[in-house]
Amino acid sequence: MSAMSPETILRVDELSIVYRTDRGDVRATNDISFDLKRGEAMALIGESGSGKTTISLALIRKLPKNAVVTSGQILYQHDSNVQDVLGLSRRQLRSFRWNDCAMVFQGAQNAFNPVLKIRKQFEDTARAHGWADKTAIRKRALSLLELVRLDPERVYDSFPHELSGGMKQRTLLALGVLLSPQVVILDEPTTALDILTQRAIIDVLNDMQRKLQFSIIFISHDLSLAAEMADTVATVYAGEIVEIGGVDEIFYRSLHPYTYGLLTSVPTLEHAQDVLQSIPGSPPNLIAPPSGCKFHPRCSFASDQCQVDSPPLQLDIGSHLAACWHKDRLLASRKEDA
Amino acid sequence: MLHDQQPLATDQQPPAPNLSLMTARLYDPLLKVYRNYTARVFLQAIITIWVVMTLTFVLVRLMPGNPVDVLVEQILTAEGISYQEAYDRIAASFNIDKDATPLDQYLQWLGDLLRLDLGTSITSPGTKVIDEIARFLPWTVFAVGTGLLISFVLGIFAGMPMAYYRGSKLDHILSFFSSFSTGVPNYIWGLLIIIGPGISWRWFDIGALRGTYDVGLTPGVNAEFILSALEHAALPVFTYIIAILGTWMLSMKSSTTGVLNEDYVNVAEARGLKERTVISSYVGRNAALPLFTQLTISIGFVLSSGVVVEEIFVYWGIGHLLFQSITVRDYTTLQGVVLLLTAVIVFSNLFADLTYGLLDPRVRVSGEK
Repeated sequence: MSAMSPETILRVDELSIVYRTDRGDVRATNDISFDLKRGEAMALIGESGSGKTTISLALIRKLPKNAVVTSGQILYQHDSNVQDVLGLSRRQLRSFRWNDCAMVFQGAQNAFNPVLKIRKQFEDTARAHGWADKTAIRKRALSLLELVRLDPERVYDSFPHELSGGMKQRTLLALGVLLSPQVVILDEPTTALDILTQRAIIDVLNDMQRKLQFSIIFISHDLSLAAEMADTVATVYAGEIVEIGGVDEIFYRSLHPYTYGLLTSVPTLEHAQDVLQSIPGSPPNLIAPPSGCKFHPRCSFASDQCQVDSPPLQLDIGSHLAACWHKDRLLASRKEDA
Repeated sequence: MLHDQQPLATDQQPPAPNLSLMTARLYDPLLKVYRNYTARVFLQAIITIWVVMTLTFVLVRLMPGNPVDVLVEQILTAEGISYQEAYDRIAASFNIDKDATPLDQYLQWLGDLLRLDLGTSITSPGTKVIDEIARFLPWTVFAVGTGLLISFVLGIFAGMPMAYYRGSKLDHILSFFSSFSTGVPNYIWGLLIIIGPGISWRWFDIGALRGTYDVGLTPGVNAEFILSALEHAALPVFTYIIAILGTWMLSMKSSTTGVLNEDYVNVAEARGLKERTVISSYVGRNAALPLFTQLTISIGFVLSSGVVVEEIFVYWGIGHLLFQSITVRDYTTLQGVVLLLTAVIVFSNLFADLTYGLLDPRVRVSGEK
């Protein structure tokens, strides 16, 4: 891989992770590579179990105990100083977490310690990273809570159970950016929230990112969220990135049948309901994945080559990469449909 | 909540509800008291105690023998007088009204109780039951309290690593000990301690450890007395610790295991908090919460189960008093001690219930709940 440009904050390089289980090794991610630029918002989309969360947990080294990183690097650049996250010592790792890279977990409902006030949990976080001035912490926290459109004073002095689900999610967002991290990972930031709260969270996120200038990696199976927030979209299938590119490239000129399948399985305002299609079959078994292209058993374009050879992630136009032998047939078929 | 809606309902049908309004007015204050959580559980506690006391009153009198018979036998052989003479003499020396029916006794005793008067001992007239309890109780509270607190703290600190290193050798060894400690009753532990280190190996002189302090010492704040009291309490306290420790360890282990799977612990680690903070404020604090309830509840349990342990070590606490009064059928003292034990159990439960909210903000009780 080429040297990191100063604009690149995070580079994931051929990362492979295996979960050791009683039934065998689950290859959760396989040779994942991508760059995240300063201020960029990248969406990882894909079905449940495709390895999206594994990737994000690896970024802050919070993988379950039975996970093993078998190869790859996660390079983090800060003040033109490049570190491999996987090689950080315990102390370095502790300071890296939240200070450089914060993760807003899926389901914020239980993300807060139920017996401590929100105030205490903000203070704990700040103090763990060497910030002791309570008044300054309070000032910063209140301004962030204001930014996520909560009543700052009230929320700051509440216990978690006194907040609604959406309020907790937004509080967690505020806590996530408390230390001005360069990277914020959002794991399903809007699932389990009602549609209006989802809307509010998206607005808040866009707003915050514009004001605070951090990079976002977010994981979602909500394509409309990806369309709205992301600059770059990566489709993850069976632990591999099968397509990655700018948001318009992915949505209007998808080159992988799986990405296309995901898009056509979501209703839009323009199409009638009967045009909706689901992707046949189910996600592959990652203990014994299919040969060749892992998507071939579910793919309508599959040929003999697909069963044998795994297609490489190849550059198409601009920054658009896809791993498929039959990009041209997919594009042609889409023209016919239109 | 219901109160707020009542006026609405009555507004719609003006003539009819007059009667119901009147009854409502009558019952409202009572209902209000009942709706108050604290008042309600307090009332339930009082009723529980009353039921237990009544049962005790009856059961004590159903026991074979009575206070007079116990002594008549002794006097008969010692002084060579007739049965009737011995009976009358002893009955006269006792603090009882022979003509009173059990019902009269019950009502009399209940009336005294309402004035917080436990009455006087039957077998040693002039000795107030309350004084007897006051004489013996502090030693029991001292021994049981010390044992309970030490085992609680040890259990919490031993239980957490068991959960952190679940499945390790450490966990297996500690789990085995915990099950053993919990499974063997405290009086068996007491006997084992007497037989093993006490008699077979002669690590200490069991005979000299009878009672609560060395004979001839004056109770007070002096080093000699305190040391002696500690020495005499050591074996019962050790027995309590050994016998309860396992329960705390297992409770803390399962509680910690549950908390370790909670999202907020995961998030706390992702927040880069110091390991010490996560262990104490996030894992430990949440895991120990349910144990505090258990602690208050177990006060009553250990107090009553300590009765036999005290007898084994001849430690003169409330258990010793209970045994004595059973032996001579001293009904009033017996009732007094049982009342005390019942009240401690019931009120420690109540206390646990009411104070849990102080520890866990989620369950702060409000009157309406």
